[in-house]
Amino acid sequence: MSRSNFITRRAIPRRAFLRGAGVALGLPMLDAMRPAFAADETSAPPRRMLAICNNLGLLPGGFLPKTAGRDYELSPYLKTLAELREDFTAVSGVSHPDVDGSHSSEVCFLTAAPHPANGGFRNSISLDQFMADQIGVHTRFPSITLGVNVNRGPRSLTWTGSGVMIPCEDSAASVYRRLFLQGTEEEIERQITRLKLGESIMDSVAEHAGGLNAQLGPRDRERLDQYATGVRELERRLVLARAWERKPKPKAPQPPPTDPDSSRAYMEKVRLMYDMSRLAFETDSTRLITLFLDSASSPAIDIEGVNISDGYHNLSHHGRNESKLAQLEAIDQWHMKLLAGLLGKLKGVQEAGQPLLDRTMVLYGSNFGDANKHTTDNLPIILAGGGFQHGQHLAFDPQRNYPLPNLFLSMAQRMGIAADRFASSTGTMRGLEFRG
Amino acid sequence: MRRVPTLLLVLATALALPGATLPGETKAFIEKNCAACHRSAKAPAGLDLTTLDFQPDNPENYARWVRVHDAVNLGAMPPAAPATLTSAERKAFTSAIAAPMLEFERQRAATQGRAVLRRLNRYEYENTLRDLLGAPWLQLRDSLPEDGIVQRFNKSGQALDVSHVQMSRYMETAEQALRLVLDASHKPETTKRYYARDQKRLLNRMRYSPFNNHPERASIPILGFEAQPDVLAEKAPLTVGDSDPMTRELEAFATPASTYVGNEYHFDQFAAPSGGSYKLRFNTHSIWIHTIYGALLRRDKVEWWRPDRDNTSRGRTTEPVTIYALSRGGEKRLLGTFDVTPEPAIHELDVHLLPGEMILPDASRLFRSRPGFVGSPDATEAGMPGVAYRWMEVTGPVRGAGKVDLTPGDPERSLRQFMTATYRRPPLEAEVQRYLKIVSARLATSPDFTEAMLAGYTAVLCSPGFLYLEEEPGPLTSNALASRLSYFLWNAPPDRELRTLAASGALRKPDVLHAQTNRLLDAPRAKDFLDAFLDFWLDLRKLGDTTPDQTLYPEYYLDDLLLESALKETQLFFGDLVRRNLPAASIVDARFTYLNSHLARHYDLPPVEGSKMRLTQLPANSPRGGLLTQASILKVTANGTTTSPVLRGAWIMERILGEPPPPPPPGVPAVEPDTRGATTIRQQLDKHRSIASCAACHRKIDPPGFALESFDVLGKWRDRYRSIGEGEPVKGIGKNGHAFTFRLSQPVDASGQLATGEPFHDIVEFKRLLLKNERQIARNLVRQFIVYGTGAPVSFADRAEVERILDAAAKDSYGVRSLLHQVVQSKLFTNK
Repeated sequence: MSRSNFITRRAIPRRAFLRGAGVALGLPMLDAMRPAFAADETSAPPRRMLAICNNLGLLPGGFLPKTAGRDYELSPYLKTLAELREDFTAVSGVSHPDVDGSHSSEVCFLTAAPHPANGGFRNSISLDQFMADQIGVHTRFPSITLGVNVNRGPRSLTWTGSGVMIPCEDSAASVYRRLFLQGTEEEIERQITRLKLGESIMDSVAEHAGGLNAQLGPRDRERLDQYATGVRELERRLVLARAWERKPKPKAPQPPPTDPDSSRAYMEKVRLMYDMSRLAFETDSTRLITLFLDSASSPAIDIEGVNISDGYHNLSHHGRNESKLAQLEAIDQWHMKLLAGLLGKLKGVQEAGQPLLDRTMVLYGSNFGDANKHTTDNLPIILAGGGFQHGQHLAFDPQRNYPLPNLFLSMAQRMGIAADRFASSTGTMRGLEFRG
Repeated sequence: MRRVPTLLLVLATALALPGATLPGETKAFIEKNCAACHRSAKAPAGLDLTTLDFQPDNPENYARWVRVHDAVNLGAMPPAAPATLTSAERKAFTSAIAAPMLEFERQRAATQGRAVLRRLNRYEYENTLRDLLGAPWLQLRDSLPEDGIVQRFNKSGQALDVSHVQMSRYMETAEQALRLVLDASHKPETTKRYYARDQKRLLNRMRYSPFNNHPERASIPILGFEAQPDVLAEKAPLTVGDSDPMTRELEAFATPASTYVGNEYHFDQFAAPSGGSYKLRFNTHSIWIHTIYGALLRRDKVEWWRPDRDNTSRGRTTEPVTIYALSRGGEKRLLGTFDVTPEPAIHELDVHLLPGEMILPDASRLFRSRPGFVGSPDATEAGMPGVAYRWMEVTGPVRGAGKVDLTPGDPERSLRQFMTATYRRPPLEAEVQRYLKIVSARLATSPDFTEAMLAGYTAVLCSPGFLYLEEEPGPLTSNALASRLSYFLWNAPPDRELRTLAASGALRKPDVLHAQTNRLLDAPRAKDFLDAFLDFWLDLRKLGDTTPDQTLYPEYYLDDLLLESALKETQLFFGDLVRRNLPAASIVDARFTYLNSHLARHYDLPPVEGSKMRLTQLPANSPRGGLLTQASILKVTANGTTTSPVLRGAWIMERILGEPPPPPPPGVPAVEPDTRGATTIRQQLDKHRSIASCAACHRKIDPPGFALESFDVLGKWRDRYRSIGEGEPVKGIGKNGHAFTFRLSQPVDASGQLATGEPFHDIVEFKRLLLKNERQIARNLVRQFIVYGTGAPVSFADRAEVERILDAAAKDSYGVRSLLHQVVQSKLFTNK
C-alpha cells in the first residue's frame, strides 16, 4: 500500500498516525475544541482511555494483594499508589480465555484473540480501535499508538478491525510535534480532497439506494434502509473528520520534550510517554491511547540507586535468584511510582469541574502473569479513574480465571458504546460499578 | 426510528391478509385440551395458550404456533390424556392452525419472496473481488466485520447487517484491493534463489545467544550429509559462494527443531514484491543428528540425549514440512505441505502471496521445546531426526496477477465495462451516469486518469448493485438465478458461461439448469462452496478455537499438522459424497476416508505414506468411518480439556439429525467433567438423569454423546480417561519436551440406550442404529442446503417441498449430489 485510504483518519501502518509540522496557534484547551461537535456532545461528557501493557509484567508476589474486597490490604507495590487508593481497582485471577503462546500473547493484550502462537493465527480488533470506530470522530486523532523500546516486528497493542497492526510511535518529541504543530498547506489540501471524495462516494451510493427503495417489499426495504443509514452515517463522520483539517491545533502548554538517546533510559522514556498522553488528553487531541512497554526488548536499564546487572528480559527469568529478584522489585516499584505520578497529574487537571482522571480510564497490566514461567493466566491488572467505583481488590479464582474481556466490555460501555460483547467476553465485569 | 413506520406497515399488511386469523374452533380445542396447564405465564414452557394470539408476522409468535402444531401432531401434547383424543381430533386441530399459517407464508412469498434482500457475506465478497480483479491471491475476508448468522449460515438477509463501520470497511477494502492489484500488474516476473546460508534467522540460530544456547533449537551447517565443525566454529567461511557452484549446492543448514514462536526461522531475505501467484521450489532433505548424553539445565542437572552439532549423517526419516506465508505482522497463512526424504529433492509449490510476505517452513513433526524442557521425545542414544534446507527459489509474480484496466482512454467505456462485470447484469444507464460523475469530478480537479478511475471503481464496489443480490418476488429472472446458482455452488459470482445462458434465458430450462449444476459442482471452484458450507454447518471454522490441555494432552502440543490434516479429511470426505453422489447416510458411516501418515497413526490404522491425503479404505473392524468419528468433529465438539456427552450429543442431534434439543432450563448448572479422575461424567449424568424433568430431554441428548466417549478431545481412541489427580502414571515426554504428568484413571463406558429403547455397546453399534434414520439424515442435509442456497430459513410451509425433494432422491439412496440437484430444481430455489 503506497497510500493511505480514503478513510484517512483510520491509521495505516507507517504513514498512519498524524500529519506534519507547521504553526502553532494559540487556543485554549479542551472546551475550545468542542463547539464544532456540540450536537454530538450535548449529553455525555467526553471519556478517555489510556491502556498500558508491560510485556514482562510485575512480580506476582509484589503486586498481588493478600486480601480482597474494599478493605483489602495494599500489596507492597500498591502501597506506592496508596494516596490514590480510592481512584483505582486492583484485579487478580483474570486472563484472556485461550490466549496462550508465551511472548506472542503480547499482541493479544487488548484484542484477546485466541492462540497467537498457532499456525493460521490472525489478530482481531483491539479495544481502543473498537472504541475508535464509534468515538474516534470526536477528536483530531481517533487514537494514538505509543511504545517504549519497541523492537521491530509484530509488536503493538493496536490492531484494526481488518487485523492490521498499527505500529507504535516510539519518540515523545515526535508525538509532541504531531499534537501541536500544524501540517503544511499541501498536506492539508490532500487530506481534504480524500475526505471529500469519500463523502461524494457515500453520497452517490446513498442516492442509488434511495432510488431502489420504492420498488421493494417491506422486509427488503427495511434491509436497504439499514444500508442507507450506514452510508449516511459514514458520510456524516467524514464531514466531521474534514472539519478537523482546517482547525488550528492547540497551543502547546509546555516546551517540547527531548528523547533520551539510549534505550537504557527506559524509565525516562516511560515518563515522557505518560506526559505526552496527559497532554493529548488535556487538549482533547485524542481520547484513546495505547502504550506498549516492550520490556522484553529492553537492555539492562538505568534505575536510580540500583545496580542493574542484566537485561530486563534476562532478569525476568530470575529462577528465584535473590539478586535478580531484588533488581526486578526495584524496577517494578519504579513502574508504580511513574504510574502514581501520571494518575496524580490527571487528578489535578479539571475539566468542566471534574478531575480529568474521573473521565480517563487508565488500564495498566501485562500479558504475562509470571514472566519467569511465561504464564498467560493470573494477569496483574490495575484500572484507575474513568468513572468507576474504585478502592477495591477484585480477586477472582486463580485456578479458574475470570475472563478479562469482561473488563474491556465494561470499559467500552463506560465509554458510552452500546456493545454487549467484546472478543470472548461473557458479560460486563462482575463487581465493577459505574460512578457518576 | 426508521423501523416504526415499516413495522406498522408490515403489521397492517399482515392483518389485511385473508385467513391470517385462527378459526374459532381452535379456541374450543385449546380450552378443552390444553388450558388446564397452559393457562398463565407460569405454564410449562412459559406458554399461555389462552392468551396466545396469532401474529404470523412476528417470528417468535409464529415459531410458537409451529411448536404447538408439532407437539399435537406428534402426540407429545397433550401429555396426560392421550387416549381422550382421537387422531381425527388431532388432525382437525393441526389442519385448522396449519391452514392460516400456510396461507400467510404463501401470500408473503408471492408478494415479497421467501428470501429477504441480502448483501454478500465476507466469504462471497472476497471471492467476488478475486474473480472480478483476476487476483485469486487477494485476502479480504478478514478485513470485513463478521457476518450475522441465521439457521447456522451467513447467508440470510435477516442477519447480514450494514453499519457505518461496515461501510467504512467496504470503502477501505475495495480501494486497497484495487491498489494491490494495480501494483501487482506492474511487477515483472523474476526468478531468484535464496540460499539457506544467507538467511539471517538461520545464521542467528547457529550462533548461541543468551536466549538461545540449546543445540535442540539450533541450526547446524552441513555439507552433503556431514556436519561442518569449522563453519560452526566460524573458522571457515559460511559459504564457498559463487566461486564453487557444485559445493555451494551441497551446503545447507540442518536443524532438529520445528518452527514455532520462540524458535522461528524463515527465509528472511525474501519478501514478496507484490501480491500475486508465485512458484516456490525448495531443495531440502532429512538428516540424522547424532547425540551425546549431557545436562540440559544447569540448575536441575537433568540429563538427556542432546544433539551433537559436530556429527550428522544421512537422514533416516521422512519429515513433513509445512510452508506458511509469514506477514510482517507475524501472521501465518498455510500454503502447502510436502515430505522431505533422506535423498535431497526439489519440492515445488504454487502459492498466492501478499506484498511483503515471507516464507516460513515448519518441519512440524519435530520437537517444539518450551522453557523447562527435560528431553526430546525424538532423541535417543542412536541420534535424532532433523531436516536440512539448502535453498529456496522463487519465481513470480507469475504474469496475469490481476486485471484492472486503467490505461488512459474513455472513462465512460471503462466504467461501463467494470460495472457490467461488477453488477452481474448490464448496468442501467442512470447507474453508469451516477458513478461517472465521481470520475468526472475527480478529472476536473486533477488530470490523473488512474486516480479518477480508482475513485469511480471504489464507489461502484460500495454500491448496492454490487453488494446486494437483486431478486424480485416470484420466479427469479435468469440473471438472478445465475447469481443464486453460482453463489450457492461456487460461493462466487457467475462466470461467462452462466451469464451467457442467463442472457439468453436458457438457464431457466430444467435440463440446462441441471447441466450447469453438474458443471459447477465438477469445477475446482466448488471447493469454495464445500469449504464454506462445512465451516458453518459443522463449525469447522472453529477448529482451532480451543487448544488441547498441555497437562492432559502433551503429545498434541502445537501439533498444527494434525489439525490441518483433520480439516482436510473432512473437506475431502464430504467432497467425495458430492462428487460420487454417495448416500447421505455416509455422513454417519462410510467404509472409506482420507488419511495421511500423521492421521492414520492418530487413528491407530495401518500406516499411510506421506503427508498427502489419500483415499483409504477402512479395515472392517475400524470404528472410524463417517463424520462423527473424524478428528475434526470430535475436536469442535470438545473443549480441549474434557469431552461432555451432553454437548456432543446435542451437537449430533442438531447438526446431523436436525432435531435441536431445547436449551437447558435457566439456573441449572452445567455438568462439568472431573479432571481429577474421581468420578466419570457418566456417574454425574446418571444423577442428573434421575430427575424426571431433566430426563425428558437428556434421554435423547446424552446417548449419542456417550457413544463418542471413546474418543478424546482430538478424536483419538481411548479406553480410559486421563486425569490430573487419581490414576496410574504414564511415562513419556510431550512434544514440548516436558515429562508427562497426567494419569490414566477411570475406564470409558461408551454404551447407552437410544430414547426409543434400542441399546448399544459402543460407537459401532450406535452408528448402526443411527443408519436406520436414513431419510432423517438426508432431510437434515437438504435443509442445510436450502438455507445455504436460497438464503432463507426453512419455514413451516417449506416442509412439503423438502419432503418432495426427498421423495425424488430416494431412489438414489439420497445421494448427496442428487439432493443438490433436487434442491436447485425446487421452487424454493427458483423463486425469490
